This record gives sequence, C-alpha cells and structure tokens, in this order.
Amino acid sequence: MSVETEEKRKIIFLVEDNKADVRLIQEAFKNSSLSHEMLNVRDGIEAMAFLHREGEYHTAPRPDLILLDLNLPKKDGREVLAEIKTDSKLKRIPVIVLTTSQNEDDIFQSYDLHVNCYITKSRNISQLFKIVKRIEDFWLETVTLPREQ
Amino acid sequence: MLIDSNQNDVNLTSLKEPVINLGNQIQNHGVLLVIQEPELNILQVSRNAAYILDCPLESLLEKNLEDLLDPYQIVRIKSRLAEDSLDFTNPTKIWVKKKREEYAVFDAVFHRNSEGILILELEPAISENNIPFLSFYHLAKASINKLQASASLQDYCQIIVETVRKVTEFDRVMLYKFNENNHGCVLAEDKLESMEPYLGLNFPESDIPKPARKMFLSNLIRLIPDASEESIDIFPQLNPITERPIDLTNSTLRSPYPCHIEYLHNMGVGGSLTISLIKEGRLWGLIACHHQTPKFVSYELRKACEFLGRMIFSEISTREETEDYDYRMKLTSIQSNLIDYMSQDDNFISGLIKHEPNLLDLTSAQGAVICFSGNYTLIGETPKEEELNDLVTWLQKNVNEEVFYTNSLPEIYPEAEKFKNIASGLLAIPIGKRNYVLWFRPEVIQTVNWGGNPNQAFEVNEEEGNLRLCPRKSFELWKQTVRLTSLPWKYVEIKAALELRKAIVNIVLRQAEELALLAADLERSNAELKKFAYVASHDLQEPLNQVANYVQLLEMRYQNALDEDASEFIGYVVGGVSLMQTLIDDVLAYSKVDMQGIEFAATSVEKALEKALNNLRRRIEQTGATITYDELPTVMADSIQLMQLFQNLIGNAIKFRSDKPPEIHIGVSRLEEEWLFSVKDNGIGIEPRFKERIFVIFQRLHTRDEYPGTGMGLAICKKIAECHRGNIWVESQLGEGSTFNFTIPLKGRESERRNGRKTQNNLFGRG
Repeated sequence: MSVETEEKRKIIFLVEDNKADVRLIQEAFKNSSLSHEMLNVRDGIEAMAFLHREGEYHTAPRPDLILLDLNLPKKDGREVLAEIKTDSKLKRIPVIVLTTSQNEDDIFQSYDLHVNCYITKSRNISQLFKIVKRIEDFWLETVTLPREQ
Repeated sequence: MLIDSNQNDVNLTSLKEPVINLGNQIQNHGVLLVIQEPELNILQVSRNAAYILDCPLESLLEKNLEDLLDPYQIVRIKSRLAEDSLDFTNPTKIWVKKKREEYAVFDAVFHRNSEGILILELEPAISENNIPFLSFYHLAKASINKLQASASLQDYCQIIVETVRKVTEFDRVMLYKFNENNHGCVLAEDKLESMEPYLGLNFPESDIPKPARKMFLSNLIRLIPDASEESIDIFPQLNPITERPIDLTNSTLRSPYPCHIEYLHNMGVGGSLTISLIKEGRLWGLIACHHQTPKFVSYELRKACEFLGRMIFSEISTREETEDYDYRMKLTSIQSNLIDYMSQDDNFISGLIKHEPNLLDLTSAQGAVICFSGNYTLIGETPKEEELNDLVTWLQKNVNEEVFYTNSLPEIYPEAEKFKNIASGLLAIPIGKRNYVLWFRPEVIQTVNWGGNPNQAFEVNEEEGNLRLCPRKSFELWKQTVRLTSLPWKYVEIKAALELRKAIVNIVLRQAEELALLAADLERSNAELKKFAYVASHDLQEPLNQVANYVQLLEMRYQNALDEDASEFIGYVVGGVSLMQTLIDDVLAYSKVDMQGIEFAATSVEKALEKALNNLRRRIEQTGATITYDELPTVMADSIQLMQLFQNLIGNAIKFRSDKPPEIHIGVSRLEEEWLFSVKDNGIGIEPRFKERIFVIFQRLHTRDEYPGTGMGLAICKKIAECHRGNIWVESQLGEGSTFNFTIPLKGRESERRNGRKTQNNLFGRG
C-alpha cells in the first residue's frame, strides 16, 4: 500500500432507494474515524451511469466499495451486480449486498454473480451500527484493495 | 342309450364336427368336377358323372374342360374366372357335349374352396331360361305392401313363409328363430292342412349343432332334394395335387350328414331347402322348407328364395328394432332423466338411485347395484354384499364385453342358485375394471313347448364299436317347466344399459377432469396466496424496520433529553414494532410450510430433535428444564420441518410451564401404518374445550402480558403434520400438563400418492 492511497479519502458508493435507509447507513458511518465520502444513487440505472461516468456523472470518482441493495427500481440489484462483475473495468471493485432479504435464492444468486459478501441488514439499530463498523474495519482498513489502472 | 342334453355337449360336438366339414360325398342330383387352374384339366369327378355326362370316369380324368364345352363357352368361362368374385357368374347355363354330338343343359355353379381349388358343380337344368329376378322382387314388394305399418314381427314372418311356399310349393315352410340359448323357435309356419303344426314349438340347440350353424353362415341356401338318395363318392378320393380329400364345405351338392338325413326321415321329410337369415354376422334364424316327398328346386329359384328371404328379413330387422317402439321411447326418456340427475347431483351414484325414475326403471329390473371404488350402492332386491363380491370377481374373470346379460345366471354361475329368487337374470355393464352397474331379475318359472323331448333329442348307438348319434324319433309336443330363469332382457333394455354406460363413463371422466381442473385452480390460487403472503410480509418488514430503527436511534441519541413519559411511549412503539416483526416472521414461516416444498428423505428423528433442543438451549438452561426421550426411529420426513415441529412443541412446553421446573418427555410408538410421537410436559395444561382452537392460526388463550407469542406456533405444527399426511392433537387437563401427539406415516407421503394414482388408473383401465 503506497502512501498516496493511504491518504486518499475512501469513496463508498451506496445504491439504495429508501431515503431513510440511506440516512441510517450514513448515520452509522458517521461514527467512523476513517476519512471517507459516501455517495448515493437510488436506482440501478443511475448506479450504472455513475460507474460508467455517463452524463451528469462524467466526473464521478471510482468507488472503493459498493454497498448494494437488491430490490431497486428500474434495474434491480441483481442486474447491477451482474453488470459490474462482468465488466472488466469494474469487476475488481468489492461489492457488498446489504439487504433485508434472507431468501436463500437471493443469497445463492448473489454469490453466483460473484458478490464479495452478502450481509443481511439487522433490524436492531445497535446491531446495524456494529455491522457497519465491521464493514469499515474489514473492507476499508484490513483488506488491500486493487488500485485503479 | 339315452343321453341328457345338458350332460355332455363336448361329446356331441366332437362326434359331429369333423364329419360335417370334411365329408366328401355329394348328392346324386348333380355332378361335381374338381378343376386345375389355369389349364382347366379335370382332376376329380363325382362317380355319377359317368352316366350323367355319358363318359367313363377314367377318360373324364384325362380330359380338359375344353373337351366338354365348346370354345365359345370356354372363352366366356375363362373371362369370368379371371374376375374377383364368382358370384356374378353363378349360375351359368352350360351345354355339355355328350356322345354323338348330343348336348345336355346344366346350371353350372363355380366356386373355389378353402384351399383355392376350383370346383364346378352341374345340376341338370329344369328350364332352359333364367327366371327373371325382377318378378321375385315384385312378389316380395307386393307381399310387404300388404302389411300395414303397424303390422307385427309375427305378421312379417308369416308373409315370408307364405310367399316362399307359394313360389317353391313345399308342403311346409317354417321360419325359425334362434334364441339366446341357441334353441330354435318356430315363429311362423305355412303348410298343408293335413300336416301336424310345429308353430310355437321350440327345438333344442342340438338339432342344429354348432358346426352346422357355422356352415349355415357361409352356405346361405342348402338344398336336399331327396333325403333318401344315396351319396356319391368323389373319384379319385384324394386330390392328386394336395393328396388330401377335397374340402366341400361350400359346395351346394355336398351330402348331408347321415344323422341329419335320419332326422329328416324321423320328421317325415323327403326333401328340404334351408335358407339362412343372417343379422349382424350372426345366424338369426332359418327358413326351413320341408316336402313329404323328394323335391328339386332349381338353382335360380333357390337364389330367388334367398333374395326374397333377405329382402323381407331386412324389413323384419327394422321391425324387430321398432317393435318395442313405445317401450324404447320410455326407456330413452328415463335414460335422459338419469343423465340429468347424474350431472346435477354431487356424484353420479346418487343421481341414479335417489330420484324417480331410477336405475331400476331403465331396464325394468327388480334390483340393481352400483359397484364403484369398492363400495356397493344397492337398490331394490339384490344379493348380499358378500355374494356381490364373489359375483363381481367372477364377472371380472369371465366377462370382457361392454355389456353382459343372461336370463339364467345359475346356469353359468352355479353359486347364483342361492339367490335365484333375486337374481336369476343378470344384466351387467363394466365401468372400468372393478366397477360395475348390475341389474337383477328374479326367477320366473315358465313353461316351454318343445317339438319332442329336448332331453332326448339324441340317442347314441354303438355300432361296430363306434358311437353314432341318432336323432330322436318323436316331435310331439313336450311341455317343459323351466326353472332358474328370469324374464329375458330385451334388446332395448340392453341398449339402454349400454347407453347408460357411455353416459356414466363420460360423467366420471368429466368429473375427473373437473377435479383435475379444480386441483389445478387450487394449486394456482394456493401458489398465488403463498407468494402474496411472502411478498406482503417481506414488504411489510421494510417500513417496519424503518420505524424500529429510527425509534431506536431517537432513544439512543436523545435518551437524556426525554422525560419519563416520552421514554415510556417510545417503549410502547418499540414493543409494538417488535411484536409485529415476530408476527411477520411467523406468517412467513407458516407460508413456507407447504406440500411442494417438503423434501422427503429418511430422517433420523433423534437428530432433528437434537437440533431443536440446540436451538432452544438458552431457554432450557434458563428454566432448568429436564428433557428425556425414547429411542427414536428413522422416518420418511422433511428433516427441517420435523425439527421445527419439535422446536415449537418443546418451546411451548417450556413457555407454558407451571411453578415446577419443566419436565418434558418425547415418546414414540409404532402403530400399524404410522409412527405416533408424543411430547408430554408437566406444564399448566389446557382446558379440553380449547383442544381444537389452539391449532387455529392466530388463536391464543392468553394475553401477551402473560405469555408472549403470535398464536402461529401450533398452526405451523399442524400444517407440518398435515403436509406429512399425519395428524396432531392434544390430550390435556387444566393444571395437569399436556401431551401433544402427532403421527407420521411409516411409508412417508409418496407411497400414498402412488396408490392414489393407481386407483384412478384402474377406473379406466379397461381396454
């Protein structure tokens, strides 16, 4: 890990349609000591436009981590996941599915599409905060993420 | 020696059959030539040819047909022989060259026998001209026209015998009809005044035994011009090509069996002509012409009589069918009533018996039984169920037709004698393999008039060590009392039964289809409901989580800023939300338990129980519960659901504990077809009146303050048990603990499914 990347603010890209959930996750990340920036879009089409830096997103940064909800308007999370993981430019960005669904089919399908990990959102807020903390600890501090080429 | 007619049919048949078919002698009134095709060489001749054709036998056998006939006739015959059917050729007038340029005129009949060998039969022509067929047509037409539309079958038969007698001038002409037992009955007779009448008399089957009947089916006119005439041999006896006696079955000249000649003698008959009446490929009856002295009838006249007979008979056939017109209309209306009832009622069986008219009216029976899927529905006078069971088994083995009927069941099924007063007559229609509709008629003692004692129809004489049959000598009226017989089933009744069979099959098929449709509908709506329950509960979770999360966030962030009331109110919000979350979880769990989702496998009950106990570990520890269990078997079940079932039951046992520490025992016993499991506790018990209610979804006996819960646990248990085709119930008294019992079939659900499918197939298994 180079000094340069260490100083860089981590970009977390949150794809979630429910404002309340967006806010809650933002609240959870607020407790973080890490310097980060959270960017949010609310449907699958926007998400892809963002990642491909299309239209209004032409200056969008490349995210370090994607938090993806499965049930999204217009284009759902499964499709977004499939597109990311088959796109040679995007597939190395770690994607975490963060959803309320405990459906086995959803879990299988997500891993089949090469999700990096699948997390069921807790209903208990302190539990949720703990999960967010662990995401930070692990994905943003422990692991070595690939550099953009 | 006298023999009894019911004694040994086999004997009679074996004695008679070969002789009738293979006898290769002919009657003396014509000449028979066996001819080799295509050369037309003469291979065999009847011995009388020597004097009829005025040529020695040996030299005849060296000849060709061309030597006997002039070239013009030969050309014509050859072209006729080339055609498919020889019917159009017969008879042909031919002129045979005799010595000294003399010609003799013959009626020639060609046919090929069973081996394809050409046989030419020559009868001296009585007239040189053909009798015009049209004149017979007019005669028949005129006879029929004499009859009014309302004329009975009897009248028609009478017209036939009178007309035939008029054109043939026989002393006696009778019309014979065979009944279902193959006895013949004289329906009409025209005769010389002086002769003894046979009208109305019955003649036993043995008078015209089976082989003779078969012959009448292929040989429609049979002339014996002189019953005292000597039979003529064929020379040489063996056909030089096949080296076997020639088959003369379809020969018009073939000699009658000696026994038949004797029969005619005993009846005082010098010459006879028999015309077969065929209906739907069956020998319906005969026109029998008898003359006291020998009588020759020309081939054309014979053919004309056959034509006449057939023509009027075709009228009879229609007549016979329309004779019971009114009765038939009545049956048709009953039949359509029954079909309506069958389709209106819940099941076709009640439609057949619960209304007026009912099943009995359809065939004028005194008793009827519907045997369907192993159940008997009885109406009127019927045999007992055990007797019916045996009868149905017998029918299954012996009857393959779409309809079976007899007016003397005890004769073919001796056990029926026990219930002869109820079921001497049986009419049965199979619907699928072991399903029948049966109608019964009681014994009716009848008197039948026979022409001579039918029990002494034959004598067997022993001559030179050979058994020989001789017909009876007396044809005097012999009255017989017939027992073990019901009134016969009429054609229209049998037809009505067949129509009903069709209707039942249709209705059963349709009901099966409707059931299948209904099942498909149910499955669809069930699937939709399941999906709905799943989606609804899933979608409910999101906003609920939102409420929960933000209330908790409020609590976390502003704990110090809130007063006591606010904290209490937030407490209620949190409690309500959490209860609703549990409810949704349980509804989801409930909707997930379903037939399709079950994965049957050999499951260790002990392992499933241990998993359940593991899930309940904390509560067991907290309450100090003691849990014991019997040695547990391996069953065919879904392991996850079985675990869930134990978890819910044991969870309840802990939850509804009394003051004492919970003691819970899981027992098992093996019943005939299922395992019986029990979960027994020492808890608070349940009032017996709530035994059923507790298994109903969302039903609770306590407030949530007393015991938390959604009222789904036992409903889920019940659903799991039922999905395994088992049951669940509780035995309990308030304050005395509870025992929850549930069963799991030994063979799992699959075997039952297979059986179910098999039953359905049986229903229409009939080919």
